[in-house]
Amino acid sequence: MRAKFDPVRLEVFKNLFTSVAEEMGVALRRSSFSPNIKERLDFSCAIFNSQGEMVAQAAHIPVHLGSMPLSVQTAIKEVSTEEGDVVLTNDPFRGGNHLPDLTLVAPLYVEGGSKPLFYIANRAHHADVGGITPGSMPLSQEIFEEGIVIPPVKIVRKGRLQKEILEVLLANVRTPNEREGDLTAQLAAIKMGQRRLPEIVARYGEQQVTQYADFLLSYGERMVGHCLKAIPNGSYYFEDFLDDDGIGGPPVKIAVNIEIKGSRAVVDFSNSAPQVKGNMNAVYSIVNSAVFYVFRSLAGIGVPENGGCMRPIRIVAPEGSVVNARAPAAVAGGNVEVSQRMVDVLLGALAQARPDLVPAASSGSMNNLTIGGWDPRRNRPFAYYETVAGGMGARPFADGLDAVHTHMTNTLNTPVEALEYDYPLMVKRYCLRPGSGGKGKFSGGKGIIREILALTDVQVTILSERRKFRPYGLAGGEPGKPGKNYLITTSGQEKLLPSKVCLRIKKGEIIGMATPGGGGHGKPGR
Amino acid sequence: MSNLGVDTGGTFTDFVFLDDGRLTCFKILSSPANPADAVISGCKDITDTVKGLGLVHGTTVATNALLEGKHEKTALITTKGFEDILEIGRQNRPQLYNLAVEKPRALIPARRRFGISERVTVSGEVLEEVDRKELARLLDQVKKEKVSALAICLLSSFANPSNEQIVEEAARQLSIPVCASYKALREFREYERLTTTVINAALMPVMDGYLTKLEGALQGSLLRIMQSNGGSVSTRGARLYPVRTILSGPAGGVLGATEVAAAAGFKDIISFDMGGTSTDVSLVKGNIQTVTETRVANLPVKVPVIDIHSVGAGGGSLAFVDPGGALQVGPQSAGADPGPICYGKGKGVTVTDANLYLGRIDPDYFLGGNMPLYKERVGRYLAKLARELKLPPEEAAQGVIRVANATMERALRVITVERGHDPRDFTLVSFGGAGGLHACALARRLSIPRILIPRNPGTLSAQGMMRSDVFHEYAQSVLLKLKDVGKKTLPNLFAPLIKRATANLARTGFTPSKIRFLPSVDMRYEGQSYELNLPLNLKNLMLAARSFHSLHQKVYGYAHPGRKCEIVTLRLRAVGKTKKPRIDPWQPSRSKSTRPAARTGSIYYRGKSWPTPVYERDSLLPGKSWTGPMLIVEYSATHFIPPRFRLNVDEWGNLVISTPEQKGS
Repeated sequence: MRAKFDPVRLEVFKNLFTSVAEEMGVALRRSSFSPNIKERLDFSCAIFNSQGEMVAQAAHIPVHLGSMPLSVQTAIKEVSTEEGDVVLTNDPFRGGNHLPDLTLVAPLYVEGGSKPLFYIANRAHHADVGGITPGSMPLSQEIFEEGIVIPPVKIVRKGRLQKEILEVLLANVRTPNEREGDLTAQLAAIKMGQRRLPEIVARYGEQQVTQYADFLLSYGERMVGHCLKAIPNGSYYFEDFLDDDGIGGPPVKIAVNIEIKGSRAVVDFSNSAPQVKGNMNAVYSIVNSAVFYVFRSLAGIGVPENGGCMRPIRIVAPEGSVVNARAPAAVAGGNVEVSQRMVDVLLGALAQARPDLVPAASSGSMNNLTIGGWDPRRNRPFAYYETVAGGMGARPFADGLDAVHTHMTNTLNTPVEALEYDYPLMVKRYCLRPGSGGKGKFSGGKGIIREILALTDVQVTILSERRKFRPYGLAGGEPGKPGKNYLITTSGQEKLLPSKVCLRIKKGEIIGMATPGGGGHGKPGR
Repeated sequence: MSNLGVDTGGTFTDFVFLDDGRLTCFKILSSPANPADAVISGCKDITDTVKGLGLVHGTTVATNALLEGKHEKTALITTKGFEDILEIGRQNRPQLYNLAVEKPRALIPARRRFGISERVTVSGEVLEEVDRKELARLLDQVKKEKVSALAICLLSSFANPSNEQIVEEAARQLSIPVCASYKALREFREYERLTTTVINAALMPVMDGYLTKLEGALQGSLLRIMQSNGGSVSTRGARLYPVRTILSGPAGGVLGATEVAAAAGFKDIISFDMGGTSTDVSLVKGNIQTVTETRVANLPVKVPVIDIHSVGAGGGSLAFVDPGGALQVGPQSAGADPGPICYGKGKGVTVTDANLYLGRIDPDYFLGGNMPLYKERVGRYLAKLARELKLPPEEAAQGVIRVANATMERALRVITVERGHDPRDFTLVSFGGAGGLHACALARRLSIPRILIPRNPGTLSAQGMMRSDVFHEYAQSVLLKLKDVGKKTLPNLFAPLIKRATANLARTGFTPSKIRFLPSVDMRYEGQSYELNLPLNLKNLMLAARSFHSLHQKVYGYAHPGRKCEIVTLRLRAVGKTKKPRIDPWQPSRSKSTRPAARTGSIYYRGKSWPTPVYERDSLLPGKSWTGPMLIVEYSATHFIPPRFRLNVDEWGNLVISTPEQKGS
């Protein structure tokens, strides 16, 4: 007996499912420890149907959007779960993004049920999961250098925490106390979902709840289908390049062909380069997220965050290529850098179809900066990690925004005063980068200049992009200025640094970063 | 003695006057172009006969100037190399999936932002002093810009304001309002301190002009201005810190709801204020909760604000069917113009139209019967919406209400369940024009056992303001390791704040016996980047500081007793207790016994029509009880009591409604 579709109930259920996901999110944030989760909100919580399709999500980070379902589907496929089990995984080659993202998946049974009605899951970015450098984002050549790899395993079995597994994990990370705290918070969020979802089932009945979960998925499908219909049928190709492979190799091509036919799309990355030796490799879940992000942004406000949205879109990403690397490739740059270039090529292709909507390229890099060493004032080691924003690409109807995180990231900065209090560092300059936005009828947004003085000898790691290949302009607009990393020595001499670099700098030296501006849109006037 | 409350709103300016225990409430149309005109004309009748009036006023001049970009031309002096922080913000964008996203425009454009060479470290050491010659050159440039106000915000001035003071001192020659960040907000994190300082500076001339006009017209009255923290302040205080008056209207509402409910015997309440475009909810568990940061016009403002959660669902919220076939309500609103369909101009179905269509608003009584409603227009447009939804019109109208309720239910869940409170322990206090049509349904959804609707629900905010205490707030970031805090440290650090507070309150006529001090500290574990506010006991400051771990346990569910903690910011609220004249229980004036229903209407509810008696509110006298369905009409509001809900009227004239026991949904 199928319940009749009622557009009012649909909206009521959308609210119900979303509020459960959000309440899980609040529980996670509230009981977690690290600033990365509490302040930068680098986590997501979601509800899935029995097939592993996402019904609702409370998300703060676009790059989690398309990827969590893959972890859930792997967990369903590879682990036979029972009531009271919770599966843990971070394996990028089985649905993860990169190793620091730990994902928990739990089946949800209701009283007397023999099969799970739903799955609930959450994913959070942990500050360190081992590997060769603190923060687990090294200039690596193999996944093993990036930290501990956890295939889908039961961290909770029939309600009992599996201490042995937890101990193996904690023995492989630099900050075990904090990791245990954050993992406990993730488990608390699972418990919240396990309490709230059955309340809804009790109120509305199993039949109606699962029926409306399905209705919500087809609703998401219709919403995205509607957006695809607004794109003229045809085939749209675009390609762009990563500066290098992460270890100084040649440029790496990322290419996409988008074929639109009515309310369906095929997104084909087959023309992209093979996987590379360095860490500039993405995994399949990242392609999925990037595609989801782009179409969701085009569809406009009001599209729900659920798996139905991906139904009209087929993705082709050959295994062994830079967009879908095979183990044991290094993938540290995939999540933060390759993901941004994927968005650039997707938008570049779609700009041909919808020139009225699509912006020129944004800065296209998360400009990752890590500074670490020994803090003599406090007599302890320290590690500071930051992503520096850049310019947004100009829109066909407006200038690009200055100094803002775009596309796959949206984290907050570390205030100058907080940074100087916490670390033996001093900010010398933090301002807009003049002239960095591409000229056009509408100009690209300006990048940022951030210069940091070392008050003691420190180690610096930079993982950045768009130092050679500039953010493209559209419709005659000029490209944005490429980024620049540099060192100012104690004698005031400026030395240019490569886009990815790991070096030691001395007390009194300054590390500088000038981030790329956005591309311009339309021919510049006189 | 304060006995007049005046609250300026978008459409009406509300007045509540207390004379010998009796309340008089009235509304007059606001005068948006010159908000002071409505205030003055409403007060005139009273001030002409009553001398020595104590008047508390909640004004929107500051907020509106900010939202409409009508603040005054302002310049900024900041540390060289950091002139663009106003534009960079925290680097994030306000919406994730919107290619047309915009950041709020910087309140001061680049050419009026001036950098000066200087540097202070976070520990307060002056690395580079301000150069007087460079400063003089800069001030010349400021002068050329012909600005009306100047903001000064240097890096780490919270730790040592000496450089900022040099600039402030020299800027006096400009003879314009000057706001230095160490005075506006002596707290760390430069961006939030900067926006708060800049907004305050830009509003100083606006507030000064407004108050000068009011004071001129209301001579002989003691005027105080409402702040967003739930306390009021002298006009002098409002001139110095206009940024603290934003959101004072909603604050008055929570204050009024809390006081009315407390008089009726309910200490734990959820205030529920449903207006035309949005709904404000706030949880009061014995005490009103404040937070230290809010956002206005998308900018962070660090001022103490009553903790109010707001959602975009109100009487004017528009219903539409989206491309996926779902019914959506809000956040777009029909606003005051064109307004709902039933007002005669609008074409989009609103929540108000749906209520009217289902018989839950009586056109004969709307705003005392002074405003004609066009019910037949509603039928036409609703039929169109119903066709799109493939539903009968009654079901479509009910759907609009259910979807709006779902949004408000989520807001109520955010402040209760998500923060660890059980809704069953609270009373829902509903006010504002539209609340009474939705409060019962929401109470049932959340298992809230009781709903209280005060008398004069349309002017409750003004009533709350009228009886407010005076609040002065002081804060100072100190960044102290708890292990370095000795027995004398906190008393020594708080002493100058207490001294300043005592002097400032004395200026407004408060003797030390009328002042209460509420010290607190923002604390965190070392290495964390967020703080918890911990109330302290003035007699034993250290004892309370040590209870940080248990507070952390309570709020976040865990604690690290072995970890080191630090004190980030000291806060002091100084409360000047005002005299509060008594309010007498309600004395029904016109008749001594409950009158029967004025008429019987028909209300569509849960799939069928119910014959429903319509009562005038004043005809329902204390001591009796009724069972829904019933409709209660009064001057500024209508209340729908669904079947099985029970109504009592208490001695204050409050409607006290009991939610029936749940039997499934």
